Amino acid sequence: MKIWQFSEQAYHPAFQKPGAMRVTLPQRECDPVVAGQLLNRYLDEYMIADDVGLNIMVNEHHAAATCMSTSCMTTLAVLARQTSKARLLALGIPLANRSNPLRVAEEIAMVDCLSGGRLEVGLVKGAAYELFMSNRQPTGFMDRFWEAHDLILAALSNTGDNFSWEGEHFHYRTASLWPRPIQQPHPPIWMTASSATSAREYGKRGYTCATFLSGAVARSVFSGYRAAYFAEHGVQPGQDKLAYLALVSCAGDRATAFARAEKMKSYFTTAARLDPQFRNPLGFNPVDANIRMLQAGANAMRPRLRNGEALPVDGTIEQYMEAGLFFVGTPDEVYEQLVTFHDETGGFGNLLMMAQAGELEHQETADNLTLMGREVAPRLAELATRTVEVRYEAVG
Amino acid sequence: MQSQGLEELSFGTVSALDVLGTELEFFVAGDGAPLLFLHGLDGLEGAAPLQRELAKHFTVYAPSHPGFGASAGSPRLNRVDDLGYFYLDMLDQLGLDRPVIVGTSFGGWVAAEMLTKEPGRAAQLVLVSPLGLPTADRREQYVADIFMLSRQELGKRMQVGEPALGSDMKTLATLPEDRLRRLMRNDEAASHFGWSPYMSNHKLGDRTHRIASPTLVVWGEGDGIVSAKYRDDWRTALPRAEVETFADAGHRVHADQPARLAARIAAFAGR
Repeated sequence: MKIWQFSEQAYHPAFQKPGAMRVTLPQRECDPVVAGQLLNRYLDEYMIADDVGLNIMVNEHHAAATCMSTSCMTTLAVLARQTSKARLLALGIPLANRSNPLRVAEEIAMVDCLSGGRLEVGLVKGAAYELFMSNRQPTGFMDRFWEAHDLILAALSNTGDNFSWEGEHFHYRTASLWPRPIQQPHPPIWMTASSATSAREYGKRGYTCATFLSGAVARSVFSGYRAAYFAEHGVQPGQDKLAYLALVSCAGDRATAFARAEKMKSYFTTAARLDPQFRNPLGFNPVDANIRMLQAGANAMRPRLRNGEALPVDGTIEQYMEAGLFFVGTPDEVYEQLVTFHDETGGFGNLLMMAQAGELEHQETADNLTLMGREVAPRLAELATRTVEVRYEAVG
Repeated sequence: MQSQGLEELSFGTVSALDVLGTELEFFVAGDGAPLLFLHGLDGLEGAAPLQRELAKHFTVYAPSHPGFGASAGSPRLNRVDDLGYFYLDMLDQLGLDRPVIVGTSFGGWVAAEMLTKEPGRAAQLVLVSPLGLPTADRREQYVADIFMLSRQELGKRMQVGEPALGSDMKTLATLPEDRLRRLMRNDEAASHFGWSPYMSNHKLGDRTHRIASPTLVVWGEGDGIVSAKYRDDWRTALPRAEVETFADAGHRVHADQPARLAARIAAFAGR
């Protein structure tokens, strides 16, 4: 298993303000000098990850105190030059927020060049509530997603003449990437899934499939992926095709690890702070999905505790651990917890690790990263060679 | 077609109508001179009380717009400009030469688009709380952004009387699936046609001078969606139109004052 350090790069001083942390929080609440200090701090932590042999994942959000990275590629452009070994993952570039897919391809190519071919690229839909900032059309989004995807990949992998593109949604007289990417035909592509249905599509295409904070649901996501991959390619996918995102708090002793976990927990409580009318802009989710969501109730999508109950947003650290969203303890304990979760979900080759979240401070994050890189990562690397018994149950 | 169970429309007949390959849910009621009714964001069912009153004077023809109710949608029909042409084709297909055309809110925009393309196609044109003109100028908004309001807040602001069915999340979740599906489809279609530019065609005001049919514009005095400035813009766009403002009515004049509105439409049409 490979480990990827990930931080949302929060402007955590805003967490004390009442009300929403996304969409409506006024920008006057942001002190830009403090924002700059925090952004540099998070970059320093990514460099520590590189030093201790971990890989790097960045994301982006818009109009949110919970995440100040507003462009994956801007953040990765810095890290491409300031790191030397880590693979650099953008997970992901939200195509719902991009009006110009050729521009997306240009930025991918440039960062791949800068990094010497260390870039990995997630193409994702994007958060529904961020349509209020991008103002992209909510309806018919998936058609535009796949056309943008086709164009981006065609541009990245083109070794022939420049081409023109007259699609249903995008129109270019000439597509020409200067520079073009080092990795050919293109950097590895990642996508994210929260159900077996979406994972199947990615399995068919052979892309790396990540699931975020989904707990036990990860098992059915991975199972759907494996089945579709096998049906299309005739072989089982390597574990490196599957990824799971969770929070990790590792410390020399258990009490310190739990104390740090408490500081990280505000990641969960602030992520949920959003006025309800922005959660689901009209026309973005398919009608059938909206009906199912309404009929199932608000808790249906929450991760589950072992007794089947929904994990409360303000749950305890122990509850978050039980649901598989948080791994907390000494290096030995975190290792054991990860091995157990790995085996329960049928195995995955990438841990997308939030070693910084919420209000966890720099020294604590540095210690967390160092312990994970030096003491846990080498043991987890051997997991890929273990045989996991995979039962293929029917999944929805 | 899943339009069974619309008991509020039991005074007429719902059937399917294929217009150039798009299957519409199509409601017909009453007898008398032909009247085309174009519903608003609340769908065909949201204007049932008005249609019941109109059916006492007219033969009411009322489609669910593409993507609304149980009508098929099409990614190629994504501008209200497209709907203008689409409904002119539908009138040709039905052999309706010069019906009275009535549109409420979003449907008023649809009606205006039709008439800019065939200026005399309506015997009389009635626009009730019409949308379609530019809804804002840079930072100044003339029309409330329905996509930024909670379902509950929007439900309250649409009329001065009781909110429509499913205007709060609690009752919404308990609705039978076919009703829920209609509401979700109406929401999706509102977004499809009205997300951006918000509920408007920026060229509409350059074309409204073409409208030759006698026109009546009706507003609700308590409209919580459109501002006075926006009503003035419509007066400028249609300088020859009669304008009437109903007391005790909000944006959904047809829900607050169905009998009075129907009587006014009938009088305007000389019935």
